[in-house]
Formats: sequence, structure tokens, C-alpha cells
Amino acid sequence: MRKYTPARLAALALAAALMAVLFLSACGQQPQGETEPAGEKETPAVNVNYGISNPWDSLMPYYSVSGSNYSRIIYDKIYDRLAYVQADGTCLPRAAQSWESADDGYAILFHLDPKATFHDGTPVTAQHWADTITLVTNPACETLGRATFVGLAGTDETGAAVAGETLGVEAVDEATLKLTFTSPVLPEEFLVDKNRDIYVLPTHLLGDIPPEEMMTDDFWLSPVGSGPCKYVSEVSGSTLVLESNPDYQLGKPGFDTLTITVMDKSNLLTALIAGDLDYYAFGGSLSEENKPVAEQAGFQVLEGEVPNTFFELMINNETIASADLRHAIEKALDKELLCQQNSGTRGTTTSSSILPGTPYSSPETQGTYDPQGAKELLASAGYNGETYTLACTSQRANLAALVQQNLKDVGIQVEIETVDSATMFAGMYDGTYDLGLASHTPTTLPLWFTGERFAPDHNLFHVADLSHYTQLLSAIRSETQERARIDLVDEFEAYLNQEMPFVPLWFTHALHVQSNTVTGIDYPASACCNENVWQWEKKA
Amino acid sequence: MKAKHPALRAFLSDRRAVAAASFLCVEILLVLLIPLVLGQDPNLTDRAAGFWALPSPQHPLGTDDAGRDLLARLLAGGRVSLLIGFAAAALGTVLGVPLGLLAGYKGGKWEYWIMRACDTFQSFPSIILVLAMVSLLGPSVWNIILVIGGLGWASVARLVYSGTLSAQKAEYVEASRALGATDRDILFRTILPNVIAPVWAALPLKVVRAILSESSLSFLGVGLRTPQASWGNLTQSAMELVTLTTRPWAWIPPGLCIVATALALLLVGEGLRRALNPRSRTERALPFSSRGCKIKP
Repeated sequence: MRKYTPARLAALALAAALMAVLFLSACGQQPQGETEPAGEKETPAVNVNYGISNPWDSLMPYYSVSGSNYSRIIYDKIYDRLAYVQADGTCLPRAAQSWESADDGYAILFHLDPKATFHDGTPVTAQHWADTITLVTNPACETLGRATFVGLAGTDETGAAVAGETLGVEAVDEATLKLTFTSPVLPEEFLVDKNRDIYVLPTHLLGDIPPEEMMTDDFWLSPVGSGPCKYVSEVSGSTLVLESNPDYQLGKPGFDTLTITVMDKSNLLTALIAGDLDYYAFGGSLSEENKPVAEQAGFQVLEGEVPNTFFELMINNETIASADLRHAIEKALDKELLCQQNSGTRGTTTSSSILPGTPYSSPETQGTYDPQGAKELLASAGYNGETYTLACTSQRANLAALVQQNLKDVGIQVEIETVDSATMFAGMYDGTYDLGLASHTPTTLPLWFTGERFAPDHNLFHVADLSHYTQLLSAIRSETQERARIDLVDEFEAYLNQEMPFVPLWFTHALHVQSNTVTGIDYPASACCNENVWQWEKKA
Repeated sequence: MKAKHPALRAFLSDRRAVAAASFLCVEILLVLLIPLVLGQDPNLTDRAAGFWALPSPQHPLGTDDAGRDLLARLLAGGRVSLLIGFAAAALGTVLGVPLGLLAGYKGGKWEYWIMRACDTFQSFPSIILVLAMVSLLGPSVWNIILVIGGLGWASVARLVYSGTLSAQKAEYVEASRALGATDRDILFRTILPNVIAPVWAALPLKVVRAILSESSLSFLGVGLRTPQASWGNLTQSAMELVTLTTRPWAWIPPGLCIVATALALLLVGEGLRRALNPRSRTERALPFSSRGCKIKP
């Protein structure tokens, strides 16, 4: 009789098991509903996989705690905005087909696209826009987006409607929206500044919700907008599935679904190369050192022409109350080194949030790295060795470590907390953190950054007395003569330099890795927090 | 010179286990002593060398993206990873042994509650629990030790519990009881020495698990507080594609350290298991195993 060794027996058993698996799987019944009659094959849905490195914080566009671009770029898909702003500041029609100045520059007339509809089929009218602005400026409404409407007639310095005054918003007719301001405003300037924060809400569906509950109502868990994409589903902080809106007035996006997935920043390019993503926000931005990697993988890299990112060190002015101490922090930071670590050769250090190259930027305000001066300021500020908490996102942990070293060199103790972007802003907002490393997308306007950060209800830096800030901001906003406005901006910048409520760090130019699967993407415009998804086309 | 204790003699006769134990000793000595010789601060940026400097005599493993010496960080990370590994394993053992003894010896409600707690702890994916607890307590070496160690008691308790169940019916325990020994004496002087052998054998595995847990946490970015280094967060740099493909010196050494340490600990654990098991010792001493098969040289 033939002898079987244990090894032979094991091999035979394994082979028998594999045969059994194959046999059983062949006997399996075809799942119901998958039978397709010949000639009636359904075209598979065309899905665009979209990556983003940080989660959005709410689907209510006027209730973004972080006020971050990660949230704005999501709202941009679900809700409609008045215009589409390109990277160079050019404004193109979106919900508004055209716009014009009226009342000697004190008002803007927006001629709305009559084809625009909400996702429930209701046409978007000027009244919807007027009701939205009335709702958001209502003091009873606990919105975080009211500062957008500062300067609108009938609002106070926080953007809240003043009782007894006429709010500067009016539906002239079905398709004409009129906004009236306390001082003359140029339509293009208004759009570059505010467009990314003004959305039309489906007010016809919100009638039953009291204003004080509007921001947190369950309606926003499954929102209805009038943007190019419709809400389908969401796994909070992780995935958002949208479908294309076939009735969007500028055209149906060239895909069926858009799946937005949050993934670590360092994985975005890898996922794009692997084919797991078709595109990632913002504009497929790429670090300098990753450029050859992308090119070797067969992707084209586009170089941005205007700075598209501004880095700052946020300061909690309540816990770091001394201006001398804040100046010491600024002087202790080797901005060149930090900029090089983060942005390589594509960055330019700054001591102002004003975009370089604009009429308002002043090169002479550049700060210098001065550890000795920082030590002297620390002594005069009476710093007692307190340890401050510096919040940053995990991808900037090593940048934060450099900041920590810089501060330690002059004697300031800092502890680093790595959190996601939304948590960082929420923590800065509620005073959990003393310092925070953040980046933003600049525009050519002088108040793009500071304009909304010194409002009493959005006092991110916890400035004790905002009166001088609001006075200066108000003066700048109401000044129409460029020369006089530049002088006022200089005055404001001088005050910021004196008080140092935050530390401006540097600007960078972007590199964009272009999608090999989706065409029609306007990469640089994503810096303005809008993406022309209605022009995107993905092949099936 | 021959070791007197049969278990020690058996362990020393296992060449793989001895080599692994020697490797661990050398590794511990290196991570403790070399930083003193090297004189490099693992958290300090070398501005002259710059970011991502290539390996050089000054920086044998180059620098990282913050200009810090990678060798110094590897050694500092080793200290942290090994500390977490050994301390968490010790904590898990210190908690698990008395609980397992109590459950096995006392029975009744003690057994019910302790063993149900064991089931509960072991039925959750440990990394999820650890992630949640570290998020709650905050990232620090001691919190990570506390969490990993605190959650690692269940397997030790179960091991001791099963040993205690069979040991308490043994004649030597009955004899102790007949001689009037207290429960405490019976538990810690009579039963414990007879059930502790598997725990010793499992201890290296617990160290491995703790090191790997910390590495996983750090790799996920929720481990230690920046800028503290650990082998886990040093491998995190490999998440960046350009580092993964073009800077192997940045992530291969910490990865190798994790693998080599885990392997060495596993071999030590296997050696201990054999050495502490009288049956294995007998098998090694005889040319034939207890199953009657001839043992290959």
C-alpha cells in the first residue's frame, strides 16, 4: 500500500479544500436583481472620487465653526453662489447672470439667472436671496456667518440687523436682487471679498424653523440647495456623496456622483497616482518636492501664478494678553526657516496678511528674526514661564516642532497638540488653545483676512477691546478714494503691527497636479473656494 | 560553568533564544548609551545641515523634514518604544496576575465578574479601545503606558485563571490547606509559583504587542506628543510618497528596529516557554519526543 507522509497528506487536504471552495462557489445562486436582459445593459454611474485633507464642520453654510476653506469648498457644491471667482479676481456669472452698480455706488443690482432651481425643483428667486440674508442678519439667529454682511445698510458692526432700520436687501423683482450698503462698494470687489461666503438657502422649506434653532436644525443633516450637486449621504467627518444636478443653470456636471473622501494630506497624491482619486482639493495642490514624483507617475503639474496660501500663527489674545509677549513671539520666529520647511522655494515671508504686489501691500513692514529682541521683550512683558498650547494639524506637526524650538530658544514654553483643522479652529474659538498654525487662501483685497476676524461675534483672537479695530475697518470699508484708502490700510496695518493679535508668516504659490481622468477643471480657481464642477467631464 | 536552575539551563541551551536575548540586551544598551556618546539632541534642528539632509558622517542617517538628526531620533525613539513596551507589559501583568488568581481561587462572584470583564476587554478590537482612551487622556508616554498596560491585563488574567483552576485541586494545595495556611499564603506562596511559568513565557509577547500598539498609534498620528520620537512615529514619514520612494534611510531603520525587536522578543518568549515547561525540557534532553518521533538534530 502507498505510504502518505504528513506533508503529502497536508497538501492533499489543502487541494481538497480549494476544490470544495471552487465547487461551492460555482453552485452559488446569482443574486436577484442582477440579471440583465441582453441589449438592456445599464451604463455604470460615472463617479468622481474627490479627496480632501480635512473634514468640513457642518452642512449649514452659515454655521461653519472653522470658517475654513474645507467647509467652503463643500458648500460650493451643494449651494449656489452669486458668481464664480477666478484666481486673478475675475468674476464670472453663476447664480447672477450680471451685476451693476446703482445708487451712486451705494447699491449693487444682481440680475439672477431665471433658470436656477433648488434641488426640490422650486425656482430660485430674488426673494430667496433676500430672505436668506434677512435670516442670517437676524440677531436671534445664532449664525457664525453674519460678519459677511457687515457694511450692509441696516446692520451693525457685527453684521446683525438693527431694529427699526431698513435692511439693505431687496427683491426688486423675481430675478433682481438689490443690496444696499452704508458706503459705496464696487460690485467686483464685493464679489471677490464676499462671494465665497454668500449662499442662497431654500427659505421656502425653512418656514417652520425658528431663527434661534435654524443653525442646528436637522434640516442641515440632509440639506437642499441649488448648487451643481445634490446631497446624497454623509458619514460625518469622513465621506460625503453628492450627485450631479441635471438642472443646474450652468449645465449638468459631466459625472453622475461625486464622492468626497477625507484622507491624510500625505496620502492624496499617492491615492491620485494609484487611481483611487480623480482629483483632490484644492486644485490638486502639490508640494515642491512631490512635483517630480507626480511627473514621473505621468501627471502634468501646473504652476500657479499668484500666491494662493497665507500662513499665520493665531494667538489667543486673552491668555497671551501682553502685546510685548506677542511681539516676542513674532521676533522669536525664524520665518525664513519655517517657510522653507513648509513651502521650499515657493514661499515669501511676510509681516502682513495683505497679498504682495497689490497696491495695499507695504514691503517696509517686513519683520525680522530677532531672538535677542524677543528675549528683551519677554523680560519687559514679565513672562512667567507659562506653557502655551500650540494647535496644528498632523501634517504640520514638524512645522510646529520648529516653531516650538524657535520659541524655546528665547525661553517661551510651548506644548504641541495635533488635531484636525475643525478642532483647531473650534479650540481657538473657545479658548482651548493659546496658539494655532493655520493657512488661508488670500484675495487681492486688503481686508480679505482681517475684515472678518475682529467682529464681536467672531473674535477668533479673543481681542479684549475691538473698538479701534472696528473703527479702522469701518473707515477703510467706507473710503472710496484709492489713495486715501491705502493710507487707512497703512494705518490699520501699523495698528496690527503694534498690537500683533496674530503673526503673519508667509505666502506661497501653488503647484497643481492635473487629473488624468477628469477634464475641464479650473485648478487655480479652487484657491477662491469655488470649483467649476459643471464644466468637469469624466469619461465613463 | 553550568547554570544550576534547570529552567535557566534549558533556556541557555536554546541558541536562538539566547541570541535574541543578547540582541535585546545590546539594543537596550545602545539606545541608553549611544545618545550620551553621540551628543545630538533628537529634537534640535541643525540649520546648517538643512531639511532632509542625506546621510553624512555628521548625520549618519541624515536629517528629517525639520532638520533633526535621524540617528539621534532613532535612538531616542528606541528608548521610548522599549520603555512603553516593557512598562505596559509589566502593568498588564501586575494587574492581570492577582485578578486571575482571585477569579480561579475564589470562584463564585469573583470568577463571574472578573472573567466577564476579561471577555468584555478581549471582545473589543484593542486598537480602537486604545485610540479612544488615548484621545480621552491625551498623548503622553505615561498615558500610553497606562492605556496599553491597563487594557492588556485580560489575557494575563485568563492565563493565570486557568492555571489556578487546575492547581487549586492539586494535592500540594490541599496539603497547604490542611496545614492551616491562609488563603493569601495559598494564593501567593503555593499556587502562584506553579502558575506563573506561562505568564513569563507570554510576557515577551505582551512587550511586542505594546511596542506594536504604540507604533500603530504613532503611525496614525495619535501617539506621542510632537516632537517626541518613537519608532512608530519615525516610520510615519513613509506616508509621504516622496519619502517612501526616495529616502529609505528615513523609515527603514525604525521599521527594522520594530521588526527585529519584535522577532527577538518572540524568540525569547518561545525560549522561555520551552525552558519553563518541564515536558519540553525532557523532550530536548531525549533523542525521542514524547510522541515517539525521532527528533532531527
